[in-house]
Amino acid sequence: MSQNQPDAVDESAVLARLAQLLREVIGEEWAQDVEIGRGTSFNEDLELESIEFVALAEKLQLEFGARVDFAGWLANQELEQIIRLRVGEVVDFICRCLSSSDKA
Amino acid sequence: MPLVERQGVSLHVQLLGSGPPLAMLHGLLVGSMATWWFGAAPKLASAHRVLLSDLRGHGLSSFAPSGYDLDSLSEDLGALLPLAGDGPATLVGHSWGALVALTFALAHPERVARLVLVEAPLPPSRLAELDAFLAAPADAQLASLPQTLRATVEGTSRRGKKALAQLARLIGETTLVADLRAQPDFDDARVAQLACPVLLVYGDRSSCLKAGERLARTLPRAELVTLAGGHFLPAESGPALAALLEERLCPR
Repeated sequence: MSQNQPDAVDESAVLARLAQLLREVIGEEWAQDVEIGRGTSFNEDLELESIEFVALAEKLQLEFGARVDFAGWLANQELEQIIRLRVGEVVDFICRCLSSSDKA
Repeated sequence: MPLVERQGVSLHVQLLGSGPPLAMLHGLLVGSMATWWFGAAPKLASAHRVLLSDLRGHGLSSFAPSGYDLDSLSEDLGALLPLAGDGPATLVGHSWGALVALTFALAHPERVARLVLVEAPLPPSRLAELDAFLAAPADAQLASLPQTLRATVEGTSRRGKKALAQLARLIGETTLVADLRAQPDFDDARVAQLACPVLLVYGDRSSCLKAGERLARTLPRAELVTLAGGHFLPAESGPALAALLEERLCPR
């Protein structure tokens, strides 16, 4: 990302937005207060269900458009990798999608 | 969230990719569109307009007290299928979802180009894996599932409780089990008239394999492929199943 790009992807804003979308997907009271950071695990910390991944992908597409193809990205990973997934990896993925589509 | 209203039930749907229509159906109780979303669907979306849906009462579709018999679910499918486009569709189903696809194809052969039946159980009312699942006490039901599937539904707090609550509701507050038990067997003479190509995929350790052999003998244009695994093939042999479907359904 070059410094003279005013619209360069703001990683902390992406993290904050992703955390909010995750709270919506989980939809339970405790999720409103839980701290969601780069190190938060989808499996161990959030216990995200497989159908909740689908719901998250929907929200990401609504938020960022088709350029963030979360389903396609997950499809190329082994189940073990998905189970180990942390929030930071998804933040990085979203930032990569956004910055490459800025250049296009 | 894309929802389609039908007879008081909201059905959750997702569309991926572009091309000729292809619909994917999951199995009962522990199934949802995630069965396909995590594996074959994104690959098939490279050459199809893929329609994923959650069966009534499952996934993000709304609760439904009844209508889990094959005719009702086939009608649900018929209502959703135009979302994927006009023209005959490829139908891919797992377990009860495979029987829904077969039911739909027998009722509307002109609307179906091809079938992929993964682990379709016959007769429909007898499924050893489901019998074992239902016979287990509620808190032991998840433990009766194969490890790879269990990893996606178990959890020490939230996920396990949510999965058990959904199962308890489907088993205790709907006609699902009664519908399944009352489902008549397919008439082989009628199945033999189905003219479209059918790919049958079964697990080499599945109790349903005999159903696959029966369908392979009965259907005029069927091919039976076995993959390593049991009844929950999309979870147990996901990458192999996705690769097989991509190879057979996506022309290069």
